[in-house]
Amino acid sequence: MTASFTATIRERVQRIETMPAIPAVFLPLLKMLSSSTEEVRIDEVVRLVSYDNAIAAQCLRVAGSPLFGLARSPNSVKGAVISLGLRRVETILLTCCLGQAFPAEKWALDPYVFWGHSLGCAMVCRKFSEKLTAVDGEKAYMAGLLHDLGFMVNCLVFSREFAGAMERACQEEIPLYEAEGATMGFTHCETGQALAEKWKLADDIIEVVSCHHVIGQSQKAQPLVAMVHLSDLLCRMRGLGYGYYERRKIDLMSDPAWSILLKESRDLEGVDLARFTFELDEALGEIQALVSTVFGASPTRR
Amino acid sequence: MTIAPQSATAALAPIRGSEPVDPVYRQIRDLVYKVSGIYKAEEKLYLLANGCARRMKEMGARTPREYWNHLAALSGRDGELRQLLNEITIGETSLFRSQPQLDALRKVILPEIVADKTRQSAKRLRLWSAGCSTGEESYTLAMSMLEESDRLLKGWTVEIVATDLNDHSVEAAKAGIYGDYALRTTADYFKRKYFSAVEERKLQVRPEVKKLITFSRLNLQDDSRMLGMKNMDLIFCCNVLIYFDGASKSKVVHHFFSNLNCGGYFFLGTSESLMKLNDEFHLVHFPGSLAYWKPSLSSGKL
Repeated sequence: MTASFTATIRERVQRIETMPAIPAVFLPLLKMLSSSTEEVRIDEVVRLVSYDNAIAAQCLRVAGSPLFGLARSPNSVKGAVISLGLRRVETILLTCCLGQAFPAEKWALDPYVFWGHSLGCAMVCRKFSEKLTAVDGEKAYMAGLLHDLGFMVNCLVFSREFAGAMERACQEEIPLYEAEGATMGFTHCETGQALAEKWKLADDIIEVVSCHHVIGQSQKAQPLVAMVHLSDLLCRMRGLGYGYYERRKIDLMSDPAWSILLKESRDLEGVDLARFTFELDEALGEIQALVSTVFGASPTRR
Repeated sequence: MTIAPQSATAALAPIRGSEPVDPVYRQIRDLVYKVSGIYKAEEKLYLLANGCARRMKEMGARTPREYWNHLAALSGRDGELRQLLNEITIGETSLFRSQPQLDALRKVILPEIVADKTRQSAKRLRLWSAGCSTGEESYTLAMSMLEESDRLLKGWTVEIVATDLNDHSVEAAKAGIYGDYALRTTADYFKRKYFSAVEERKLQVRPEVKKLITFSRLNLQDDSRMLGMKNMDLIFCCNVLIYFDGASKSKVVHHFFSNLNCGGYFFLGTSESLMKLNDEFHLVHFPGSLAYWKPSLSSGKL
């Protein structure tokens, strides 16, 4: 891609800032996640969320959903932090904020499908991270949740072009990433990177956003990028893709990303990938429940 | 006659999908997986619980815990576990049972094998339904192949070998007469095209489908017969290996691997896995289904 084209993308991504739908707490939350220490953050999270009643209410509803297995719903954000732990509340909060930031009617990609994929990927990343000491579980979750940020940019800023890519992907049953490249000349990796940089996300998350389809280009966060790459593929093969049939075969253990992760931990060799897959299927219902809780309606009723 | 206490009666009542199940069923699920490779996902745990309830009634166990103790103490395949496996796999057979598997077959696998074999000028396809029971899977495969006879498989010879240990099953399979239950997942299109009405509420497979298949009796543990089943492109063996112990299963799977052509695929039941039993096959994912692949020579992975 040429430098001027990249500049065009960046310039158009700048416009996102003027979108009225972004909750005020969103950007401070992102900044806090990448900078503050945990002690500071508990009070900060509670303070930030109290600015926005809608977000606070939604966050508590999600925290009380069966997904997190609490016996009783927390009745305050601080209560949620105590019962679920700070990092989980942060990820719930981030999901709620992102959900509000990009209203459903703007999307060429069905938001239920998109969030199902992102949350599925986040869960698989966390599960992978249990096998790898080098990657923190909550960082992995965050990386999975945010890796496709670029699709949101494409829906909002390049909606016409992206709708064309989506149509082509569905018709030819090819990966959306390939259809984007073929029809638009750029992909959600570049647009996502522009937004991630603008939001000053952590460097490793920026790499995940920009390199999860081209892991060879990752320099600083290879295991994290490799993990997201594999989780993304697995989700797309197990009903958490982009809502259409992808005509392809995936051999995860022969993927270069698998070798990268193997270097981090030989424990991965002992993983029963079939069972890992069946367990992901178990989480499908939970993920749909979470998406419904965040967006307030069941996907099946839409 | 003894009268069961109230709690036991409650424990034996059928459990519905929405009700929480006794945590002991997760232990039973893990034991079943360890021994057989069959995995009952969380949302299907009630099916396992109902299978257990029928066995508990049969053997007079009053609580799931009591049943678990019995299972764990005598977990050999010839004991109670075999009965339980019968309970949980019974009635799973129907024609066109796994659509994702059939989609993978027609959309991904066939085009790949056809391209591969066309290069070798070998327009012949051999499929094996190993443990074909009463023929549902074999006929499903035959009809799927016939659907491609004017397209991908034009000018090809297709041969389906279907075997089972049980003579009665083989005879029933040859007759090819099915009622509503076996046809519950068969689209009207296929019923009209490939079946004739024979008696009230029963349909029989037409001769043009039958002529693709050779049914015979075969014991998968008969090494000399297994050695003769060469040059297969696809092998299907659903819910059969669950009855074998580790060593026999390993031997049979190795036979399957040897009997497959390079580039061929081996399919198990939808929730069944080889676990870590064989490292020659590559576990591959298709949308919604899994298969074990014997890499082709051209892939450089053998």
